[in-house]
Amino acid sequence: MKTLRLMTVGGVLAYRALFNWTRPAIFVGTLLVGPLFQLLFFAYLGRQLQVADDRFYIVGNAVLTATLAGVFGGTLAVGNERRYGTLGHVLLSPRSRTAVFLGRALPYAGNGLLIAVVTLSVSAALLGLRLPAAAIPGLLLAMAVGSLACAFFGLTLGALGLRFRDVWVISNVAVALLLLLTGVNVPSAALPGWMVDVGRFLPVTHAASAARDLAAGRGLAAAAPALGWEALVGLGYAILAAVLLKVFETESRRTASLETI
Amino acid sequence: MLALGTLAHVKQMSRSPFEVTIALVVPIVQATLAVYLFRAGHEQHRLLQAAVGAGLMGVWSSVLFGSGGAIQNQRWQGTLEMIMLAPRRPVLVILPITVATGLTGTYALLATLAWGRILYGIRLDFVHPFAFVVAAVVCIVALGMFGLLLASTFVLMRNANALTNTLEYPIWLVSGMLVPITALPAWTGPIAAVLPTTWGARALREATTGGPVWPSVAVCLGISVLCLVFGSISLTYVERRARAAATLALA
Repeated sequence: MKTLRLMTVGGVLAYRALFNWTRPAIFVGTLLVGPLFQLLFFAYLGRQLQVADDRFYIVGNAVLTATLAGVFGGTLAVGNERRYGTLGHVLLSPRSRTAVFLGRALPYAGNGLLIAVVTLSVSAALLGLRLPAAAIPGLLLAMAVGSLACAFFGLTLGALGLRFRDVWVISNVAVALLLLLTGVNVPSAALPGWMVDVGRFLPVTHAASAARDLAAGRGLAAAAPALGWEALVGLGYAILAAVLLKVFETESRRTASLETI
Repeated sequence: MLALGTLAHVKQMSRSPFEVTIALVVPIVQATLAVYLFRAGHEQHRLLQAAVGAGLMGVWSSVLFGSGGAIQNQRWQGTLEMIMLAPRRPVLVILPITVATGLTGTYALLATLAWGRILYGIRLDFVHPFAFVVAAVVCIVALGMFGLLLASTFVLMRNANALTNTLEYPIWLVSGMLVPITALPAWTGPIAAVLPTTWGARALREATTGGPVWPSVAVCLGISVLCLVFGSISLTYVERRARAAATLALA
């Protein structure tokens, strides 16, 4: 119970303290308007090239937009502690750092879900996509699982911030690669086999597939396997993040490089 | 002074692993995406156009984040006041930074073309090769001047780098860098018409696939000169305002 409290309360406090976009206008612009235009860009490109229909792009990209909060949030969760000189204090805490840092991912997952929901709603209204009402709970579940997987993926990248100086390069490249490898914008059949294989181990891939099944009215039973895979991918990244954080923390203490920027 | 300033900033940016990696890797990923999309849409004959479009997207990202980041970086380094105190017009000090971001953006254009040629065998058969080079140079300078206009507004904003995140995709979309403007809603037309990025993208596309390149180059240059004039006026205004309010370093 104490660990759960540490994860949730600690995560929310860290989110409020480290979150850079404190003004509502900038929050809306960066996290809601930006992703919406990303979706519109690919939806219009897909329309023009006639690669797939609007539903493919709207639903897939709506799930993908959670990466913005998840990946950059996860990176911020560790990177900003170092930047603001508070990393040492966190690592000196007598509580489990694994719980502290895993808790950091939770608000970003919620943030990612908010972005995905808003992006899906607004883009569906703008582009005239009708979603079956029965699919809404399932879509929310798919977006929530996808957002959580993204947040743990981001935390894994953030963990690299304990070892590498410029973690922003990694997170920016990762976000770009997710556009390509998750099959959100290019149908898997049109991608080389190795890209599809890599995509299976990335967040969003399975959540987007599940969301598309649900939006097509195929029901939760049809989407359940993909949702299960997405949850497994998220769990995998949570474990990887915890291991990397532990290893890099030990290494940083050994080499006295905690606060090195 | 402009040339030396630009050279100094290009050198500085080129030594940043972050700037160089982002300028090289991200556009290549986007160009890969564009190639597979164009292939899936049975538009193999437009792959060169896709590579050029993706490269230009990289140039815009470089200018956008560079212009936003340039001011912010000076602010973080504590050098913004010194720059603004220089006995020169502010435009002469800031323009080299924004033009330099356009020049470092050419890494993206060159990278996507080289990547397309080497990995996907895209033949660099430009219909007007000379016009392509001229259009690319004009486009980069024009984007640098557009960056100046953006930078002048960023002086007043503490979180300018956050605003830049919002402007990346809209400009890619509306300027027709990959998506033809004709595929967009009609109301986006007037917005596209006043953006130098639209005419720069059009000039590069016409030089690549054929068409009247020079009118697009001329319009791009004309709009960019207007950006320079408005940017200069705006920069002088916001600089005075920031000095009067003593918020230059804190804005």
